[in-house]
Amino acid sequence: MAKKILCIDDEPEVVEYLRDILQDAGYATCEAYDGKEGLEVAKREQPDLITLDLDMSKEWGTRFYRNLRRDPNLKDVPIVVVSALSGNKYAVKDAVANIDKPFTPQQILDVLKKILGE
Amino acid sequence: MALDIEAGKLLLADDEQSIRRVLGLSLEDRGYEVLTAEDGHSAYAVYREHDPDIVLADIKMPGLDGIELLKRIKRESPDTEVIMITGHGDMELAIQSLKHDACDFVTKPIKEDVLDIALGRAEEKLSMRRQLRDYTERLEEMVREQSAKLVEAEKVAAAGQVLDRLTTALNGIADDLENGESPFFQEIPCLISLHDSSLRVLRINQPFRARFGDRLGDPSWAVYGKGAVGETDCPAKRCLQSGQPEKSREFATDAQGDIVPLLVHTVPIQDTQGRMDMVMEVGVDLTRVRNLQQELFSTQWRYQQLFDEVPCYITVQDRDLRIQAMNRQFKQDFGDEPGESCYRIYKHRAEPCPECPVLKTYEDGRSHQYETVVTAKSGEQQNVLIWTAPIRDSEGEVTQVMEMSTNITEIRQLQDHLTNLGMLLSSVSHNIKNLFTALDGAMYKVSSGLAKKDEAKVEQGWHRVSHLVGRIKGMVVDILDYAKQRELERHSVSARELHERLVEQIEPRTAGYGIRLDHEPPGEDLELFADTEQMLNALHNILDNAVEACLADPAKESGSHVIRLYFRKESEDWAACVIEDNGVGMDRETRENMFTLFFSTKGNRGTGLGMFIAGQTVSRHGGRIEVESKPGWGSRMTVWLPRAGQSEGRVEAA
Repeated sequence: MAKKILCIDDEPEVVEYLRDILQDAGYATCEAYDGKEGLEVAKREQPDLITLDLDMSKEWGTRFYRNLRRDPNLKDVPIVVVSALSGNKYAVKDAVANIDKPFTPQQILDVLKKILGE
Repeated sequence: MALDIEAGKLLLADDEQSIRRVLGLSLEDRGYEVLTAEDGHSAYAVYREHDPDIVLADIKMPGLDGIELLKRIKRESPDTEVIMITGHGDMELAIQSLKHDACDFVTKPIKEDVLDIALGRAEEKLSMRRQLRDYTERLEEMVREQSAKLVEAEKVAAAGQVLDRLTTALNGIADDLENGESPFFQEIPCLISLHDSSLRVLRINQPFRARFGDRLGDPSWAVYGKGAVGETDCPAKRCLQSGQPEKSREFATDAQGDIVPLLVHTVPIQDTQGRMDMVMEVGVDLTRVRNLQQELFSTQWRYQQLFDEVPCYITVQDRDLRIQAMNRQFKQDFGDEPGESCYRIYKHRAEPCPECPVLKTYEDGRSHQYETVVTAKSGEQQNVLIWTAPIRDSEGEVTQVMEMSTNITEIRQLQDHLTNLGMLLSSVSHNIKNLFTALDGAMYKVSSGLAKKDEAKVEQGWHRVSHLVGRIKGMVVDILDYAKQRELERHSVSARELHERLVEQIEPRTAGYGIRLDHEPPGEDLELFADTEQMLNALHNILDNAVEACLADPAKESGSHVIRLYFRKESEDWAACVIEDNGVGMDRETRENMFTLFFSTKGNRGTGLGMFIAGQTVSRHGGRIEVESKPGWGSRMTVWLPRAGQSEGRVEAA
């Protein structure tokens, strides 16, 4: 079965970009536009990996991350930070990768391949 | 950066334990002695106890919040530098903190380089202040030296009194004189002569001879240039008559015929039987004293020049803050009313300012600095940096305080502009990266559509590309306009031309989102007096806002949104451009803040510049924007614009 990836970003265009890339590469996707929604979707969809924007207007990505780690079913889901903030590596301590915006499709796919295999 | 510098104490106040730990370590690496506190009240307590040089405080903390902490610290010690830590979206609080004199702020998550810059700035301010203090102390030293010179001059005057005593002493010497000439008599640096009771010069010393020639046997009054018509008054005669020591100012004529001012002391000398048989006359040449006085006067004059010409305001104030002396610059800008109080002239207040630096100097005898806003007699508001210096009397008591104020309005304005520009750049660079990512996404869609020969996808992607390019363009133009406020180049422009160009710019966007654009071209005869490009940009920003308002409104079905654009005549002098939408509408707070710099409801999508620039442009044209809006109902913006021809003169005057 295709691995499922949850994309969280408050910019709909960015979410759509990620969805296009990932679906073209054969991944299943689900999406959310803020941290609160992200948590609901994560509980429902049990994704294999999450891409997370940090600087979101409603709620910061770091808070989502803290809430996620409290959920025993979700605490081990790998997180890839995709953000326009430079120096974002301090924000989510055990993120498996940090990708700076703007990014290329290849950057995303390389990272996912390394983490999820295949 | 600051590793090899001896850094001082730093207080870190943040309610998040992880931030305290990580940031604390990194600050210790920079060489600071780091104190921490987990909320506002304990931070204040730590500050009171340890008096750190720098305070790094979270703007949002339980109990006493960051701003309140900042205000308290600044009230007690303006020299402590406070850097605020702000979260995303705290921009208004951040700006507020700068108004309360925070040194800088850093945004979470805290980046090393940003922190370095903020700390560097704080260190720089601290060291500048130290230098300023050194400078002021040097100034005090100068004042001290100058007072020392004055004291010296006083001593010269006192020499006259010493002579009185000398006279008494000379009585003793005169006794010796009776027994022949004493060598002492020749060496005294005064003009000494002995006169007998018939007023003849009996004996003179060497200095007297050098000055007036050999006058032995002459009448006592001869050197005073008198006696021509039987005038015989002279010091020796008066002394003989009174039998007492006498003192007077005289003019004598020396051997060269020059007039010499003299201070003359006379002493009666008694013979062994107690009869008065001689008078000793001691003259001091006043020309030398005059020269000294002259010198003192010219020094004072030079100081007066300096006092008047320095390009800052100087006043000398008494304990009631009444102005006792003021320099020319002060008179020119604040009026010439000696005796009036400082706070009345500077601030139009009825009582002293709460943090008056002059009163502080009276209290502790030290220099103080203070920054404030004052109003000149022209009504102009000036930011001034004030520093004070005590003026002490010989006992060391502070009798007056000198206050020097420098007009730093332009520096402040520049600083504000730079701070705003800095904030703008940091928020914009983030937005632009997001926009570029979205643009990459749109282009990816186009190429993926092309690869799959999916025409609908290509079209969708292409539409998005053009929309995003429009947004990037708008953002860049806004930044450029803000960064350098261009002069208005106003001329007559037809409303119809503006209308056509606006429709041309906005129609592709509205069509792309299925928003209907209703517009009526205005009559040919409606001419405006405006800078075409800047006004177009302003109106475009308002239209753009209307589009965003429609997009943000989920309540209505797509296809039911309408934007209306039309121009109309309001009066002989005024026209209006009306832009209406039935989008999401605004609540009161949004309405009131919509023209404020960096205010944005669009989150990452807005720079907070568009409407600010629109508002600025319109008011620079002498016009205004009326806003009617209600959540769920939509908005109507009426932009008042001056008409060309008859109105030009009047609008310029307004």
